[in-house]
Formats: sequence, C-alpha cells, structure tokens
Amino acid sequence: MALTGRAGLIAALGAIAVLFAPRPAYAVLGLLLLLAALVVVDLSLAGSVRPLRLRRGGERLVRLGEQVAVELIVENPGRRRVRGVLRDAWPPSAGASPRVQRLDVPAGERRRLVTTLVPTRRGDREAVTVAVRSLGPLGIAARQGSHHAPWTVRVLPPFLSRKHLPAKLSRLRELEGRHPALVRGQGTEFDSLREYVVGDDVRSIDWRATARRADVVVRTWRPERDRRVLIVLDTGRTAAGRVGTAPFPAAPTPAGTSGAAREPGGSGTSAAGWPRLDWSMDAALLLAALATRAGDRVDFLAHDRTVRAWTSGASRTDSLAALVNVMAPIDAELVESDSAAMVAAVLARAKRRCLVVLLTDLNPAAMDEGLLPVLPQLAARHLVLVAAVADPRVAEMAAGRGTAELVYDAAAAEHLRGQRARLTARLRRHGCEVVDAAPDDLAPALADAYLSLKAAGRL
Amino acid sequence: MTLTTAPAPAAGTSTPASPTAGGLWRGNRGFVLLGLLVALAAVLAALLTGTSSGNGRLDPEDTTLNGGKALAQLLRRQGVQVERVSTVADAGRLDGPGTTLMVTDTSFLSDEELLRLVSGRSHLLIVGALPGLDRLAPGVTPLSEATPRSREPACALPAAVRAGSAHLGGTTFTGPRGSIGCYPGPDGATLVHVPTARTITVVGDGAFMTNQRLAEDGNAALAMNLAGARPVLVWLVAPDRPRPVPGSGEATLSELLPPGIPWAVAQLVIALLVVALWRGRRLGPVVVERLPVVVRAAETVEGRGRLYRARRARDRASATLRAACAARLVPRLGLPADAAPDEIIAATALRTGQDAVWVRSVMYGPPPADDAGLIALAGHLDTLERQVREP
Repeated sequence: MALTGRAGLIAALGAIAVLFAPRPAYAVLGLLLLLAALVVVDLSLAGSVRPLRLRRGGERLVRLGEQVAVELIVENPGRRRVRGVLRDAWPPSAGASPRVQRLDVPAGERRRLVTTLVPTRRGDREAVTVAVRSLGPLGIAARQGSHHAPWTVRVLPPFLSRKHLPAKLSRLRELEGRHPALVRGQGTEFDSLREYVVGDDVRSIDWRATARRADVVVRTWRPERDRRVLIVLDTGRTAAGRVGTAPFPAAPTPAGTSGAAREPGGSGTSAAGWPRLDWSMDAALLLAALATRAGDRVDFLAHDRTVRAWTSGASRTDSLAALVNVMAPIDAELVESDSAAMVAAVLARAKRRCLVVLLTDLNPAAMDEGLLPVLPQLAARHLVLVAAVADPRVAEMAAGRGTAELVYDAAAAEHLRGQRARLTARLRRHGCEVVDAAPDDLAPALADAYLSLKAAGRL
Repeated sequence: MTLTTAPAPAAGTSTPASPTAGGLWRGNRGFVLLGLLVALAAVLAALLTGTSSGNGRLDPEDTTLNGGKALAQLLRRQGVQVERVSTVADAGRLDGPGTTLMVTDTSFLSDEELLRLVSGRSHLLIVGALPGLDRLAPGVTPLSEATPRSREPACALPAAVRAGSAHLGGTTFTGPRGSIGCYPGPDGATLVHVPTARTITVVGDGAFMTNQRLAEDGNAALAMNLAGARPVLVWLVAPDRPRPVPGSGEATLSELLPPGIPWAVAQLVIALLVVALWRGRRLGPVVVERLPVVVRAAETVEGRGRLYRARRARDRASATLRAACAARLVPRLGLPADAAPDEIIAATALRTGQDAVWVRSVMYGPPPADDAGLIALAGHLDTLERQVREP
C-alpha cells in the first residue's frame, strides 16, 4: 500500500476546515475517519498488482559502451484496470533508464514497456525486481507489489582494438602472400606442386617432380598454419590495478572525483582509469581475431589461484564469440596469483607445443616469487610470450622535473622502470618474448609480436 | 564457464515477490501479540497502583507515603463521615458542633477565610505550626523545633492516654490557661488540647497520620481519637489548582486564541504524517551491487616518491636517476651492456663535446647536498641525454 500527495493535500486542507468548525475536536476525528474511508475505498477499487503477468524479451548480449533495450510485457488478467507507475529495478552499473515508467493496462490487455540499459561495467547484469504501484480511481492511495521477472544481460568486453584489425590482417596477408610464395623462407611450409608459368622463380622448380612428369613443376610454400595459441590471462591482484584512461565513464557515481581527491599534486588525470585486466582482454581479443584468421587455433585460460575460465578453440568461425562470452564475467580477484598452479594448468591442457601468451603484470615482487622459478618448465615445452600493460602515469612521473617533489617522484618512477627492465631482461634470458606497452599500444604491439613470430616461423 | 544463473523459462513468466496480507499476518503475528501483551501489562500495572492525586501534604486522596488515604479509609470504616474540602465555603456548609475540622494548610487562605474558620462552630484539629495559628488557636504559641520521634503521652488527655506512645515532634507549644499539653518535647508539649466548648487541638507534626507511619506505635489510635472524635470529619486541603489571583484580569495567550487553533495544529500534524508516508514509501527495493575495487596502479610508485620526499632521500633518488640515465645512454653510445663507468664517461664526453670531468661529476659524482642540487642534477642528466641523442 502507498499513499499519494492527494491524501496529504486533503489532510492539510482539512486543517482550515478545523479552524472554523464549531466543534474542532469532532472535526479532526471526522476528517481522520473520512480520510481513512477514502483510502480504504480507493484501495479496494485499485487494480490488483499480484495477478499481473510479466514477460521479458529483447537482447541478452551487449558490448560495453553500447546500449541495449530490454522489453517488459505487462499482462493484466484481472478484472480492473491497472493504472500507475512501474519501476524495473536493475543494478546501478546496468545504467537502466527510465527509472520509473507510467503504466496503464486495461483489464485483460497487455502493454509493452522498454527499459534502455547503458552498462558501465563488464559482466552479467541481472534484473532485480519489478515494482508496480497501482493507483485507485480517486488517486489517493495505491496498491504496491513486486514481481521477479528474471533476465540477464551479459555485458561483453568492448574490443576497442578491433580498429587495428584491418591493418594487422593486411600485414598477415602480405606475410601469407595470398598467392602461395615461391620462395622458401623461414616460417613457411611446403604447400603444393603446380605447373611452371612464365615469371616463376626458376630456383623453385622441383626437378625431381619435373622428371616424373612431362611438365615443369614448381614447389609452392605458404606460412605455417594450424599452430596453437594459448592465451593465459592472469586475473590476480595485479590485474585489478587501474591504468590509463577509461574509454567509458567508469560508473554512475563519480569515482573519478574521489580518485583525484586522494591524489593531491597529481596531474589532471581525473578518471580512475581502466583495470589492467580489461586492457589485457582487449589485447587478447585482437590477438585471437588475428590468429583465427591466420588459421591458428586459439585457446584461452584465465587463472589466479585456480582456473577461472577455460575455453578450447571451438570451430574457427565462432571462436571469437566464444572467447568474448567467456571473458565477460571475469573480474580481478584480490589474491596473489599462484603461478605454479597456472603453469601446471597450462601443461595439463597443452600437450603439443604452442605459443603461450601470458597476459600479466611485470611486477618484480610477484614475478620473483611466482613465475620466474617455474618459467623454465613452461619455456622448455612451449614458446612463451609475456605481455604486460605499462602504466603511462609512471612514464609521466619519470619525466617530472622542476621541483624537488617532482624529481623525487621521477626517481621513484625510474626505480620501477629499472626493475621492469631488469625483469624483462631476465625473462628474455629464459627464452621468453616480452611485450611491455602502454595500455593503448598493448593490443597492436602484441599483434605485431605475434606476426613477427609467425614470420620467423617460431610458432 | 557458463552463465551463473539459469536462463529464464521459455514462457518468461514472472513470480510475485511481495507478501500477501495473510503472509504478512502470519509472519508478524508474534510481534503483534507481544505488543498487545506489553500494552495489557502496562494497563494492569496502572490499575493496580491506583491513582495518586493531591499535593502530598496529608491529603485523604493521596496514596503516597506522605498521604492520608489510610487514615481516611480507617475513619470511614469506623462510621465517620470524611469530607475532603478545599474551600472555606465548602467547610462552612458542614459546619456544626458534630464536626471536626482538620486543617493541614492555611497558606492558600485569605484573611477573611481565616476569620470565617475561626468563627465556625466545628472542633478544630490543627496540624503543624501553620501561619495564622495565633488566630485559629488563640493562646497557643510555638516555642521551638523538636525532632519527630516516638514520645510518651505524659498527660491526662484521654485520647492520648488510650493511644499511648506516638510519633510526634515538629514544633513544641505552650497553651493558654486550662489547656492540656501532651507528648512533651525539650521545652514544651508537641500536642496541645484546649478543652473549651469548641475544642481546639494542635499537633506539632502530622507525620503520625501519614500512610507511612500510621501502623507504628499508637499512631493510628491517636489519629483516630483526634480526628474521629465526632461523626463528621471535614478535611481541609489546599486546592489542586491555585485559584487565580483576583483583580489581575489579564487573560493568557491560550485563552485568547480561538479554540480551533490547537486542533488545527493537530490536523496539520496528521497531514504531515500522511505526507511522510507518501514520500517515505519506496517503489521497489534498494538495489545493492558488488563493486570492483578502484585502485590506481601507480599508487605504489607515488607512495615511493613520497617516501623519498619525506626522508629527503637524495642519495637514493640521485642514484636511481643516474642509473636510469646510464641505462639509456649505453645502447645509444654503442657500448656493451656491461660497460665500465670510465668507458661510458669517455664515450659521452666524446659524443657531446663536454668536459669529461663534468660528465663524471654529473654521472658518478657524490649525491647532491640539497634539493636544489637534486633538481640541477636531474636537469644535467637530461641535457646529457639530449646531447647524446642529438649531437
């Protein structure tokens, strides 16, 4: 049950009547009884909320940064018209609007309401409840009730780096040659034999095959295919750190202001940034898209202390969709990653040699204790590529000059950069490839590293 | 990993989430019953304790320890008609030789009223050294204070002799000629009886007649003998509300206001409650959500910078800056990664054309002595680097 402003207005106007009534005490009592009677009548004449039937429809998937419409069909099987307001309650980060909608469903009919979601965060967003307030004919009181109308919208990673995909694909095509190459080079494998045509390199003539046939036959080569790429995403505590500038407004509450307040003397970067995890996912998606086109098989593993997600390259066409779907609900956990368990999980899943792309942070303390001791096991069987998101804020601090404070900050930033450089050198000594790039550059840099590995035939 | 929640059923049906009226009743009837029990207990307790009215100075309606209800009850049971009056006019209506007038307070009486009391025919029982005692009981004068305690009668007054010892004190008196003084204190009697046609009895203190003391000693007997000697007892007490002082004539604000005003205010309070109910009712629940932690990755670096700053760690800061600079210079100068300082200095000096001694002092000199030195060092390192990059 709920009252409306009209009830309050009646009670307030009653005060004037009481002022001039000959028997004010009785007037107050009478007004109270009148109001109660009106409320009871209005409630009994209001359309019932409980028998309403709600059905949902619309989209279940949305990319972060885009909007999605979820429709709600309200069916009124009761005998009375249901007139009032409806609130389709979603979690704040679903960005649902409008918050409250008008509702008017005559008896036996149905109406369609649309709620638009503009999610501000990756993951699954579940509809909480639908609350309906049904006004009586007098508009004094209303019946109120809620319904569970379950619906889940999965907010997928935005794949911002797909803008780099055409450029990388054209490089891949160059590498591949579209028409098979005639020159045997590194990173190629035997493709087929075909008849010689004028213009072919005479060095590619296969004399043995030519001898068997009446024609001159050349060998053709193509880049190696059907390699395996295993993308390992570290979802431990270092993945929660925020770097760069978030491409979308972070949250409905201005989290950026609190971040700026905590950082006096910081530069103008008011936004709290985007988690390393999301940048890593972005890079992983570009790599997966590229590798799928290049004919390689892409597996994906998310790991902190246990396996958080695992998908083995399904069919070539929908592997990217599967990957995006698996990534969507993953969040960084505030635990130290267990690198030994991660390596064990990789070794258990990848029997054949493959390219293991490890998306993590080059955090010296965590790496010394975690990954470096177990890296030789992994590097012995697979080609390991470590990709990390560098913090542009650190580079900014390292360039700070002018005041003593800025120079001290610059020294601290150089300290971290030096540690990262030493760590990179140690990883390279173990035979790993290392990509350490700023958030915006990580995805293309990782794609380039993959392409150069492919060109060099090291997969 | 799959969806954590099961997808909605094919029909997408909804289920009502709010409780029904019956469910509400079943869920909360325990609290309702508990509330009723508490209310019942409160009502019972109020009924059992009874009313306590009166001003507390020996009032026949008062049930507190200082009241006189017990005495009034005893007297009524003995067949004495006890009348509680608070005006002299009421007392005068019952005036007569068969009446005892008990006076416990005269502070509210005007002079005329006091005179009317004096001129009455009732037998007087005066409790305490009241103002106007000299007119009510001529010849009886208070002497001094005496501690109320149990005293022996030590006189020939039959009422006192029959009662025996009693809790008396307060004030001692001397009586006129022919009077009987009982229960003597240090210098006079605490009970004086003037046996004229209209007997006047003055006691120094009324404590022996209170509910608290009535059961002790011969208190009850003495009180019954004094107050219940005649068939009617007129008990004069102060009125519950002081009478308005005549002649002032000023009406208070509340009397000037129309009678509707307080009720209109009450109606406005009701309106306020209704508005509060209207605004306070939320449409649907508050939705909570697990939010991700917001921590900037650069915070550890900023923290280290502040630590350097707080400790003025110029040695560490300068060493880090120099090492970073050298690490960037070495590949540009075409030197091996493990080049010795002397090689680096020589190559740098050669490339930039700077003095080797100055280059050494910049790159491998002692830590700067103050913050200005540190800032200058950072500038010099930048200069060297730039000159190596663009000779």
